[in-house]
Amino acid sequence: MIPEIAEVKRFVSKQMPFSQLPEAASHFFSTHIEVIYLTEQNQHQWLRSGNLYLYLVRSGSYDLLTAHGEVITRLAEGDYFGYPSLLTGEAIKNQLQVNVAGLVYLLKEEDFEFLRREYKVFEQHFVKAHANRLLSSHYKQSRDSWSEKKISDVMTKGAVMLAPDASIYDAAKTMSQHSVSSIIISEQQKLLGVVTDRDLRNRVLAVGISPQQSIASIMTDSPKYIFEHNRVFSALHLMLKHNIHHLPVLNERHEPLGMLTSTDLLRQQKSDPVQLIGKIYKAQSLTQLKLCATEIPTLLKSFANNIEDISLIGKLLSGLSDALTARLIALYQLEHGEAPCAFSWICFGSQAREEQTLHSDQDNGLLLPDDVNDEQRRYFAGLGQFVCEQLAHCGIRTCPGNIMASNADCRGSLKQWLARFENWIAQPTPKAMLNCKIYFDIRFIEGSSVLYNEFATQLSELTKNELFFAAMATDISTNSVPLGLFQQFKLETDQQQHKYLDLKRRGVVIINDLVRLYALKAQIYKANTLERLDALLGATLLNKADIYDLKDCWRYLTQLRLKTQLEHEQLPENCINPQHLTSLERHQLKEAFYLIKQAQQACAFKFARGSL
Amino acid sequence: MRWLVRWWRKLYCRMKLRQLEFNAARYLILDLELTGLDAQKDEIVSAAWLVLEQGKVRLDSAEYFLNKEVKALSQSPVYHGIDEQMLEQGESINSILTRLAAALEGKILVCHNAPLDWAFLKKACQCYDLVLSPLAILDTMAIEKRRLAARTEPLNIQSLTLSACRSRYHLPDYAVHNALTDSLATAELLLAQSSAISSGKRLKLGQLLQRAAT
Repeated sequence: MIPEIAEVKRFVSKQMPFSQLPEAASHFFSTHIEVIYLTEQNQHQWLRSGNLYLYLVRSGSYDLLTAHGEVITRLAEGDYFGYPSLLTGEAIKNQLQVNVAGLVYLLKEEDFEFLRREYKVFEQHFVKAHANRLLSSHYKQSRDSWSEKKISDVMTKGAVMLAPDASIYDAAKTMSQHSVSSIIISEQQKLLGVVTDRDLRNRVLAVGISPQQSIASIMTDSPKYIFEHNRVFSALHLMLKHNIHHLPVLNERHEPLGMLTSTDLLRQQKSDPVQLIGKIYKAQSLTQLKLCATEIPTLLKSFANNIEDISLIGKLLSGLSDALTARLIALYQLEHGEAPCAFSWICFGSQAREEQTLHSDQDNGLLLPDDVNDEQRRYFAGLGQFVCEQLAHCGIRTCPGNIMASNADCRGSLKQWLARFENWIAQPTPKAMLNCKIYFDIRFIEGSSVLYNEFATQLSELTKNELFFAAMATDISTNSVPLGLFQQFKLETDQQQHKYLDLKRRGVVIINDLVRLYALKAQIYKANTLERLDALLGATLLNKADIYDLKDCWRYLTQLRLKTQLEHEQLPENCINPQHLTSLERHQLKEAFYLIKQAQQACAFKFARGSL
Repeated sequence: MRWLVRWWRKLYCRMKLRQLEFNAARYLILDLELTGLDAQKDEIVSAAWLVLEQGKVRLDSAEYFLNKEVKALSQSPVYHGIDEQMLEQGESINSILTRLAAALEGKILVCHNAPLDWAFLKKACQCYDLVLSPLAILDTMAIEKRRLAARTEPLNIQSLTLSACRSRYHLPDYAVHNALTDSLATAELLLAQSSAISSGKRLKLGQLLQRAAT
């Protein structure tokens, strides 16, 4: 018998999965490993395909990088690496970067296989670790795409700034010296406002203001901004939403670092959602607008090829729908005069969640003030009719359930809308629950945000009803994940005898439902599932690990679902045949369904104890 | 004439060895627990060793022996924690040395404070007419001493202990001290030292031997 080294054994037996295994496992490991001193100079010798090892970090700090040099994860004491290739037999693609040299334990392939065969917990640990790695790398891979780059990578460095007491003339001079089209107005490293070329034209020259006046008098104050570590996509989204071309970039301490312009973004991309959005906002007629809309499917296809995280497409499409809606409302007002009173155009369902696909239908409505009179209502009836009809012409199908602003029921005053919701909450029939699922994913698009916020506040008061939560939790638990008692897939069969799994109905929808319930409980006014989960991190309803699990599951299923959508299997939409997956993917899918099942049970327990 | 040929051959081997790349050589890292520091009157309590090759310390090569023939442990258990009862499970010094001699074949012996261990080994071998013939002897303590001297840091005995040397390379702290743990500790120290000395270039054995010699 090989003598074990006390210090090695002590360290190993504290690590997962050995802490859960009999002592013999850590003894085997600590008497069969080899110890290396991993440095920047010798790192190229290790993690190579010829010699597969399981690596366990004893000391030092290393970054695991993709072949393209992007960080997958930071490795420190107690972390394993090298197991994906041991599990899959695929060639090693990742590389190491040494931050601090240190000791690493190596276990040979045959010894890894031995432990795998001998101990189920050992096997499970690494399969699961691999699944998690894949889940997160799915998401990280997409960093290749421009829209997932960090702002700091694409912005023009060096903020051109002026104090608010500088004159308009100074501003123009500074801008021309630096040849920039915009300038940040700041005081003591705090962002106060922004002035652009266009402001100088529209707010100074065109109205004949003296250039000696202070710049503060014409700046856009409290402008939209973005942080350097945000993704380009977020910037794109902000620009699209507010139709702006300049975004000040701040660091974590809210100090301005520079300006991100739409030109910076244009430089980054091949196909061009920004331009299309810009065109939509500039469209002067319905014909022009519809012409823009016909570009959407083409744009989407090229976009889908550019980015790997296909779930971004939902956000992009929703952004385009928002833009179309906003522009249609503006066009209506051009023709029929300004709206006679405040209104809010709102959307529900997938557009609100920013999960739209090309096949999604319209779900929208109009929120009107309580004192709206009949004549004003006629104006909005016309608006609703017009926008919904034209959206349909632009390719967004009308809603079969008639949840559209063209329907009088969906053009309610504040009181009327609240009464509808109250009705569903008070009488949780299956029909009411179905409505709740659609209407509680709600987002403001255009009009008066004051009116909408008023509504959102009052609505959240209404939802403080334990019975309602219990009813929703019970309703969610009736939709089961397609896993059998022994963790095998339960397949559905269509008329052509194809066997399939419905990823949307039996997976994504359940997560959406669960997250909606928690978000309502925690009074979170967001509609996007991932954003709701992020916001839930701040609440105490769910623990962090569960939130991350749900996020990973959601991303994984959405990704898989959209991938199959693009690959056109001969199956119903959103469905897959698990036999076409690799064994590892199957394992991950089961893992995802299993996590959903657990979350479902926890939710039922939390909210529906009384009524089950 | 024969002695001249032998001397010549020895010198030639030495030269070849010095040109050898660090990772191409095979090493046996050894640590002894002793009853005291005087090779003439004190005894070996336990011996442990490990093989290092191609930059990897092979833990499956670990050997650990207790000397069941120790005559007087006296105060030494305070340091190594080995008592007489444990020694009874041990082996004869003759068999330990025979195994060591075989293990050392074609390898370079590495110890922390090698002169001490080597003195005890030589003394013990004399009694049994055994010869230990490592290719060379490397001393991690001497290597460290040279490195520190070059940096004109104030030197004292404490700064050359195994754990003090290790902490300089940010190697983990090992609480338990026995011959086997210490031989791994020495092996890891040698890897860290050689990496520091090579600073990215190919390291020849000569660079380490030179340090050990002085």
